[in-house]
Amino acid sequence: MGVIAATTYDFPSADSLDKFHGNLVAYVGWEDHLLFCAPFAFALPPNTSFKSFCEDMLIKAFKYHPDTQKIDWKSVEWFKSGKPWSPDVNKTLAENGLKHKDALRFRTPGLKGIKESCN
Amino acid sequence: MDMKVKKKLGLKERYSIMTRDLGWDTTFQPMDKVFPYDKFEGIKIHDWDKWEDPFRLTMESYWKYQAEKERKLYAIIDAFNQNNGHLNVTDARYINTIKLFLNGVSPLEYMAHRGFAHVGRQLTGVGARVACQMQSIDEIRHIQTQIHSMSNYNKFYNGFHDFTHMHSRLWYLSVPRSFFDDAITAGPFEYMVAIGFAFEYVLTNLLFVPFISGAAYNGDMGAATFGFSAQSDEARHMTLGLECIKFMLEQDPDNLPIVQGWIDKWTWRGTRVLMLVGTMMDYMLPKRVMSWKEAWEIYFEENGGALFKDLARYGIKVPKCAETATIEKEHITHQTWAALYQYGAATNFHTWIPSPEEMDWLSEKYPNTFDKYYRPRLEYWAEETKKGNRFYTETLPQLCQVCQVPMFFTEPSDPTKICCRESDYKEEKFHFCSDHCKEIFDNEPEKYIQAWLPTHQVFQGNCFPEGADPSAPDFDPLAELLKYYHFNVGRDNMDFEGSEDQKNFAAWRDISVKN
Amino acid sequence: MQIDLRMVSIKPLRNTFDHIAKRLGSDKPASRYMEGTMDLQAVTNFHYRPLWDPKHTIFDAGRTAIGMKDWYALKDPRQFYYGTYTMARAKMQEASEENFNFVEERGLAERLPNAVRDLALQVYVPLRHVEWGANMNNMSICAYGYGTAITQACNYHGMDRLGNAQYLTRLGLVLGDVETIQVAKKDWLEGAMWQELRHFVEDTFVVSDWFELFVATNFVLDGLMYPLVYQHIDRVIDERGGPAVSLMTRFQTAWFDETTRWVDSCIKVAAAESPANKEKVSSWINAYRNRALKSLAPIAKHALGANSTAIMESIELALNARAAKCGI
Repeated sequence: MGVIAATTYDFPSADSLDKFHGNLVAYVGWEDHLLFCAPFAFALPPNTSFKSFCEDMLIKAFKYHPDTQKIDWKSVEWFKSGKPWSPDVNKTLAENGLKHKDALRFRTPGLKGIKESCN
Repeated sequence: MDMKVKKKLGLKERYSIMTRDLGWDTTFQPMDKVFPYDKFEGIKIHDWDKWEDPFRLTMESYWKYQAEKERKLYAIIDAFNQNNGHLNVTDARYINTIKLFLNGVSPLEYMAHRGFAHVGRQLTGVGARVACQMQSIDEIRHIQTQIHSMSNYNKFYNGFHDFTHMHSRLWYLSVPRSFFDDAITAGPFEYMVAIGFAFEYVLTNLLFVPFISGAAYNGDMGAATFGFSAQSDEARHMTLGLECIKFMLEQDPDNLPIVQGWIDKWTWRGTRVLMLVGTMMDYMLPKRVMSWKEAWEIYFEENGGALFKDLARYGIKVPKCAETATIEKEHITHQTWAALYQYGAATNFHTWIPSPEEMDWLSEKYPNTFDKYYRPRLEYWAEETKKGNRFYTETLPQLCQVCQVPMFFTEPSDPTKICCRESDYKEEKFHFCSDHCKEIFDNEPEKYIQAWLPTHQVFQGNCFPEGADPSAPDFDPLAELLKYYHFNVGRDNMDFEGSEDQKNFAAWRDISVKN
Repeated sequence: MQIDLRMVSIKPLRNTFDHIAKRLGSDKPASRYMEGTMDLQAVTNFHYRPLWDPKHTIFDAGRTAIGMKDWYALKDPRQFYYGTYTMARAKMQEASEENFNFVEERGLAERLPNAVRDLALQVYVPLRHVEWGANMNNMSICAYGYGTAITQACNYHGMDRLGNAQYLTRLGLVLGDVETIQVAKKDWLEGAMWQELRHFVEDTFVVSDWFELFVATNFVLDGLMYPLVYQHIDRVIDERGGPAVSLMTRFQTAWFDETTRWVDSCIKVAAAESPANKEKVSSWINAYRNRALKSLAPIAKHALGANSTAIMESIELALNARAAKCGI
């Protein structure tokens, strides 16, 4: 449909990739762990290895939860934009096809949060 | 000298001579140039003479009655200040609700003041302009009486000290800020629907009643007095909003789909902003007035339902989002409080875990949802806090592109799953908390891609003080962010337990009652 | 003997808001005017460009050629915030109300000779439209201006103009009737005497620079029109017919005196800021003054006859003197 304005109305996006100093933005939510209220946002270099992304950054971000130390990255199920996604841990984010502002979710089978309440 | 018998003027005719008759159709300058903004939205007005004055107030009456209210109000504010009225509140946690108000809501009154001045100049209809101008001056009354009422709290408690600075920068305050920026940047008719109708009529009681009743219930004479004093102003504003809707719908049937679209959009955007109010009602008022669920049922489902039944004769339907909002009424306050709690290192008010009695109140008020979904996390956090492990999140949250709330809302059909929607626009991805925010974006992407989203702005390095060097090895992003916010770290933020507010309030209460 | 009231006193953490303390130089108790005015307007991190004016941000200092390092230097010397403003106006309203009652009780309107009453109706009642024009322009300044200091005051000023217009309407209803009001409006739209002035006013409606609007309407036009009408023409009517008109325009007279102080202060501060500002304001004053004089001349002639030339010269000199006092 498009905006209806009095004259030409055409402005750049505030959050295009070029504005992040070489980083891209990615969001990661941990399903069934609503103790963390919302998916986390990360700004990181596209050539970050997926392994270090999980084992360093995500562990650090989610460290508060008692389930975190039980995470078995090999059995984690990944989703990108809601669809199943199979990243290669030995590749970088970019090599895995991760784009700026992609939304990821991971599910840890068997781990359902505090008292299994999805918290 | 002739003694003509003067024609007796009816009220309507007299007011007409005093207002709309003052204007004229310009001839030296074309009307379209004098009023350049009220056609581009596509709203068709054929006869501004059909505008019905929503209220009749000459300036003489305005000054007289408003001055009388001011005299009374300031006498009470003076008494409140002189007598340490702040020590009469139920407990010091209450004071955090007014921090939320001054930082989050009062600046919106200022925006309304400017916005109504804008439409008070741009609408072709003179009668409409007069009514809008009265709202404009009313709104500066509101922000100033609020500042003056709350000024005393700023002297004794933390988090009030730089409210306009914070309103433009804090992560959770971009929710109300973007709401009003959105309204004021819209065309004049959309502005009237957004603020005059959706905010000041449909949703007004959901803002006003909680805060002002909350103040009254919790011994806050300052805020309660301001609130009661503003009621007659608000009554005028409601009638203006309603008249604007009716007028547009009566002028041309082509206006209906445009107006309906705006009602849908703004009821949703307004509801998203109001979740802060709901959270305040359920979690922050020591003496609670009612639950958000109850307030929603009375003021939206019942009263709003009656309103939309009345508007049905114009072809107006209940806003699309009503169903979602009604499902969400049992969830959003718990979800919001949880978010504010865990991001409590970066809020300019304190957060805390409700007491067991308060949690039982929440169980009672939310029988379908609280115990199942939300009590577990609160109890876990309470336990961990006892062990010295109070939960603070330092990783930034994903935000909704439109309402800018962190993405903590869950699927209407499944409260265990975060609701995520997305759109691709010009090869860039955008994310939304709901179908309704997505629809708002999809209708006007050119607008919403410009948004100043706090999480992204931090990542871009725009939320650090001048001279900060993110590449320095000892760079502490949270500390620098809080400097940018102008926080008094350790005094404005963190848990209520152990806060300076808590200590001071207790000590001062002691002084005032013990020997 | 002195009554020594004791109060429980606790020591505050701070005296005022940080942004106020910064302006005061230290954390001191601040006036309600300061707390209710300073820094209220957002200046950064705007989310969206206006659909109605995409070239500017919501609030944009670029909407005027005038430049200020600090827009809050344009403080109101009257220190009007909403409370003090409404209370000041309510006081004036009370006095005016007494005046209208007095005029009615004493039948002063009926005592006016027909010719004088007609003159009053011909001059004063069409001016209600000039007041409405000033309302429009001041609303523009409130909407598109920069910084709460001046935009707040212009909001009040705009509502004042509506009040002035309503007082002139009341005067018309006392001296005449509903029909009189309509005749005056017809005069405004078609009468030869008024077209220059109406042209002037309508041209201001399309001025985009809000400070220019301030100069044109609040300084120049008012600065000439008010002395002409509420001093000189008023005196003539008073001499020929008694005080009915003076009494019924008391509000406007008092209002002009009070607001002049504020208007001059804004001109002075803006001009003192930079040679560029001074040059700009000066050029606006010159252009609008010459035009306003031309627009008011037929009205002056009609009301003052042979004396009009001398009186027009004197009000022009007075305006220039006023400008000089403002540093122009």
